[in-house]
Amino acid sequence: MSQQTHRISGGLIDRSSTLEFTFNGKKMQGHPGDTLASALLANGQRLVGRGFKYHRPRGIFTAGSEEPNALVQLRSGAHQEPNTRATVTELFDGLTATSQNHRGSLEFDFMAVTDLLSPFLSAGFYYKTFMWPKAFWEKIYEPIIRSSAGLGSLSMQEDPDIYDKGFLHCDLLVIGSGPAGLAAALSAARSGAQVILADEDYHAGGRLNAETYDIDGISGSDWAAQTLAELSAMDNVRVMVRTTVYGAYDHGVFGALERCTDHLASSDGKPRQVLWRIYSKRSLLSAGATERPIAFGNNDRPGIMLAGAVRTYVNRYGVSPGKQVAIFTNNDDGWRTATDLAAKGVDISAVIDARDIEPPASVHGAAVYMGSSVVDTAGRKGLRAITLASGERLEADCLAVSGGWNPNVHLTCHQRGKPQWRNEINAFVPGSTLPAGMRVAGAANGALSLGAALRDGTDCATSIMADLGFKSKASKAPTASDEAHASSAYWHVPESRPRAWLDMQNDVTVKDIKQSFKEGFRSVEHLKRYTTLGMATDQGKTSNIPALAIMAECTGKTIPETGTTIFRPPYTPIPMGALAGRARGKDFRPYRLTPSHKWAENNGATFVETGNWLRAQWFARPGEKGWRDSVDREVEMTRASVGICDVTTLGKIDIQGKDAAEFLNHVYTNAFLKLPVGKVRYGLMLREDGIAYDDGTTARLGENHFVMTTTTANAVLVFRRLEFARQCLWPGLDVHLISTTDGWAQFAVAGPNSRNLLSKVIDAPFDLSNDAFPFMACSELTICGGTPARLFRISFSGEMAYEIAVPARFGNAMMGVLMEAGKEYDAVPYGTEALGVMRIEKGHAAGNELNGQTTALNLGLGGFVSKKKDCIGKTLSQRPELNRDDAIRLVGFKPVDHSQPLLAGSHFITKGDTANMANDQGWMTSVAYSPTFGHSIGLGFIKRGHERKGEIIRVVNPARNIEVEAEIVSPHFYDPEGGLQRG
Amino acid sequence: MIINHPLLGPRDAAEFVYLGDAALIDRPDPEAENADEQFYEYGYLRDNPAGAHQELWYHEQGDRSWLVVTRDTLTHEITGVKLARDEAKKRGRNK
Amino acid sequence: MADFTLTAEPFLGRFEQHYDDVKLREIYDVAFVSAAIPLRKLTAAKKAVSAAFGVDLPEVGMSALSQDSDMRILRLGNDQAFVIFPRAQHDTGAEPHVADLLGDVFYTTDQSDVWVTLEIAGTGARRALERICPLNIAPDAFGIGATARTSMEHLGTIIIRNGEDSFLLMSASSSAHSFLHAIETSIANTA
Repeated sequence: MSQQTHRISGGLIDRSSTLEFTFNGKKMQGHPGDTLASALLANGQRLVGRGFKYHRPRGIFTAGSEEPNALVQLRSGAHQEPNTRATVTELFDGLTATSQNHRGSLEFDFMAVTDLLSPFLSAGFYYKTFMWPKAFWEKIYEPIIRSSAGLGSLSMQEDPDIYDKGFLHCDLLVIGSGPAGLAAALSAARSGAQVILADEDYHAGGRLNAETYDIDGISGSDWAAQTLAELSAMDNVRVMVRTTVYGAYDHGVFGALERCTDHLASSDGKPRQVLWRIYSKRSLLSAGATERPIAFGNNDRPGIMLAGAVRTYVNRYGVSPGKQVAIFTNNDDGWRTATDLAAKGVDISAVIDARDIEPPASVHGAAVYMGSSVVDTAGRKGLRAITLASGERLEADCLAVSGGWNPNVHLTCHQRGKPQWRNEINAFVPGSTLPAGMRVAGAANGALSLGAALRDGTDCATSIMADLGFKSKASKAPTASDEAHASSAYWHVPESRPRAWLDMQNDVTVKDIKQSFKEGFRSVEHLKRYTTLGMATDQGKTSNIPALAIMAECTGKTIPETGTTIFRPPYTPIPMGALAGRARGKDFRPYRLTPSHKWAENNGATFVETGNWLRAQWFARPGEKGWRDSVDREVEMTRASVGICDVTTLGKIDIQGKDAAEFLNHVYTNAFLKLPVGKVRYGLMLREDGIAYDDGTTARLGENHFVMTTTTANAVLVFRRLEFARQCLWPGLDVHLISTTDGWAQFAVAGPNSRNLLSKVIDAPFDLSNDAFPFMACSELTICGGTPARLFRISFSGEMAYEIAVPARFGNAMMGVLMEAGKEYDAVPYGTEALGVMRIEKGHAAGNELNGQTTALNLGLGGFVSKKKDCIGKTLSQRPELNRDDAIRLVGFKPVDHSQPLLAGSHFITKGDTANMANDQGWMTSVAYSPTFGHSIGLGFIKRGHERKGEIIRVVNPARNIEVEAEIVSPHFYDPEGGLQRG
Repeated sequence: MIINHPLLGPRDAAEFVYLGDAALIDRPDPEAENADEQFYEYGYLRDNPAGAHQELWYHEQGDRSWLVVTRDTLTHEITGVKLARDEAKKRGRNK
Repeated sequence: MADFTLTAEPFLGRFEQHYDDVKLREIYDVAFVSAAIPLRKLTAAKKAVSAAFGVDLPEVGMSALSQDSDMRILRLGNDQAFVIFPRAQHDTGAEPHVADLLGDVFYTTDQSDVWVTLEIAGTGARRALERICPLNIAPDAFGIGATARTSMEHLGTIIIRNGEDSFLLMSASSSAHSFLHAIETSIANTA
């Protein structure tokens, strides 16, 4: 198309098909195979955004994921994504992109005025400027900074895409599909190993697609395509393009992000991205190298690019970034840009080499300046001309800059590895400490020529295969030439007067580094944080090393003496959505349903989350105005006749073994050895530090068979502790544990008619009479004509009560059967609220009381700590401080004025004392309105509580500014003698 | 991290729950004369080595075994994994 | 007297769904009984298993089918085995049945209702499981009969390879719906 003014011949794009896209609303065209960046350049669009701090015009600087400049907003509406690198965005039909970080249009950004203020916006500007007056911070400074900070903007809508995660396993993970990676993957795959080859690019081959090298007599890109085809056809190889291995974790675990649909107009209901956890036996890092720039005056103008990137656009995309290109290099590799461009007929105005040596190549039609440099550039919205150190001014609309290549050592640092300096290539290479199982090959390892990379990759794979025990077929490395790549340590142009950029994303200049040095910063880590160099989303891939070199210059030390920075995951940014994966909304965590959930749903239940469980909180009936109406009724009807509650959520642990009773003696404070078969006993557990941990009932079903119940919240934790006690503390005991929580649907049947109700469902000849089945009895039996069940005569409500358990698959039907059988008694289902009210009325401790701070003594359960035997926590529970005379005790409270409610969390103050911490007597743990007594009641801990019954105390809640008076009473409000539950 | 379970082979650490110092196996004798002192040390005092550390991991999402894992706290290198039950017996806990 | 009847309900209502190259169904008539090996009784346990099932007690991480192929015995830990078999329609005593077969060597506990069981089968099964299963279940690494306990989408899971491209997945019955959702999502995401 005529629009594509900068399209030239060749490249790995499909010219038979045209893709339409828009940039800032302007219609443009490109081809499959293009990135957004290459398509923009093809359309002559050099200006693509504005700088972060000074709002200077910015263009495309690189051709890869290291891009600091060309960040755009992609897509629209809820799909809008800010800070997307145009250099890695695959072009698709209908793509819409807009530029970022400007007020007004991209061409006329009002915020560009900040550039004129630049003398004031130097390193540490924020730290120095917004210090005072203090009152200005919140009202003035912060809002201004917030509105001008950041680059792109969020859609402020929920992310409509879905994301997924996954797990992969392999013998060898090859990271990067350039020449070294392809050669290694091929060699390893041929020996039969499970190989994953991952590359962030959508077109495997790395620099082979961007250069004009030959391998084994064919073009590098053809060789890459051929090798890839062979690999893709093998069952033991998984080629993952569009997949960034972003982090190296312990023991061969890697994180990788696969972009599944980012190259498509629509995700079509499929995950947009998948976050993989890759388990590898060995890994090979063949991530290549990243070119670095040279810093000189006004080096940030659109049109100034890395020399290798210019080659990529010309060779891979068939785009010439300029019509008249100048090249500024300090190394041999930069000259390849000149020869490649010349071969494509692109006009080259000059080659400027900082080295005063013989020109390494001759370039037809180009002026050559050896030992020279670029000191300044011109062109407000795009490069027009450059000025050399000699003062000579040359016209150019593109300047290709090469400061040498940095091996991509990033992943070698993720496990504390420190890169080492290698003088021959003036760059850091991976150090000796690598992540477990990792090898590094090719340019990432400092093997900067193609021939060397191919040999390195093949050799590494061969040795890894031998190490893993694969019979490796002797494979010969593909052959290619070892091109010249001599470089020099030349980082910035000292003669340059104007500002010279290092970090273009965070707008950090050479001057900022020098100033930081003057202000006393020496450590590279401090320098980074002070100047924000390398702390933008590109993590300083092109700027860290030049900045380090300038710091070294200031200190007069060598670069390795000055230090290096450690790279941390992720290698490139990972969207929050990918990290969240499926864990959004109601899928944030799994949920558990009680067996009678369906029945409850059909009968007006309101549910409450307790842990992962959904439990019926109350069952509203028509006409009830609020939850209190329902809860009061449930309590009243249960106490008057009979109520039924699904208590399946309590933890159940099946304990068997010859030494099971002795084991229980170790973990419970009270004795279990002599518990008869067919009986249940309350048990209390302590932590080893003497604090109460959990409680519940344990039933003895047989000589060697117990069933323990735990609280709902602690079910998993108690099981874990019991396994610890079994395996680590008493491994000589014959005892076995298995959870049966989900296996039995268990229902509390409570109230004076509970026996009458149950007698209708149990099978003959089971005798339910008080003599045959008294309080704390248990038995296995059958019900409803043969269904196996377990019956326990226990009571949490204080009523005559039972808990009956049936296999969970019968649970929903069981609830219906119990209600049907209870019809004649007006049986009522009750939820967790009524359960809570009745347990407070009865004075049973629950989670509010067993809160991790209280002892058996505090809870009034001191008598449950057996004096005759040891148990977990016993020794430390005897510490004097836990047994002081004025220790807090659990007692009951009732308001003096019955119309007043008590509040949990209130503190107790003795009458006449000031309400302050020094006079604090304890606190209220649980309160409820008691329909049984017609007023609010409470449980709480108060000093010497057991000796203070009858005292009127102040119940103070300073947070809500509420105070009432209450009488200290027994915690057992309801049936303190316990006659009902025994009845 | 990957823990090489002695019975099950390499498993992701995500399947495990971490407890801490394997010294927790050495629960003092409650009958000892200075039992309170010993339990105080057992409960509250831990070594915090920069280097090899024996620690307890529980394979909760697996076979429910407690393991004694020797892990370098600096590098995370794991140099040994044993069943805690065997280790406890070796340390003389036979009851 | 008892004139009430109790009806069992499958945890996932006999779920069954066929996708392109994956079949997913609830196996709702599973009897599942744990059999713990008493301390120092491994030899007796091995003998009891051979006598009862005609096969050796499998190594940890493996399962074996009884001689009549009716029962599968899994070894998931040093001292823990499970027996899985189809529950007869009116049979209510899975645990006594296994206890009878094994004599009184093992400590047996009925686990039938603790677990929901799904079978995922077809050439797409591994591709779907890759999204939630952290274990290597490649054919070479996880042979037919292999079994393991792990966690999928935060839910404890027993996985058994019961065929070329077929796996049994067992997870807690109370979270059956979350478990099914996790697997269905994996199938949909990889279809």
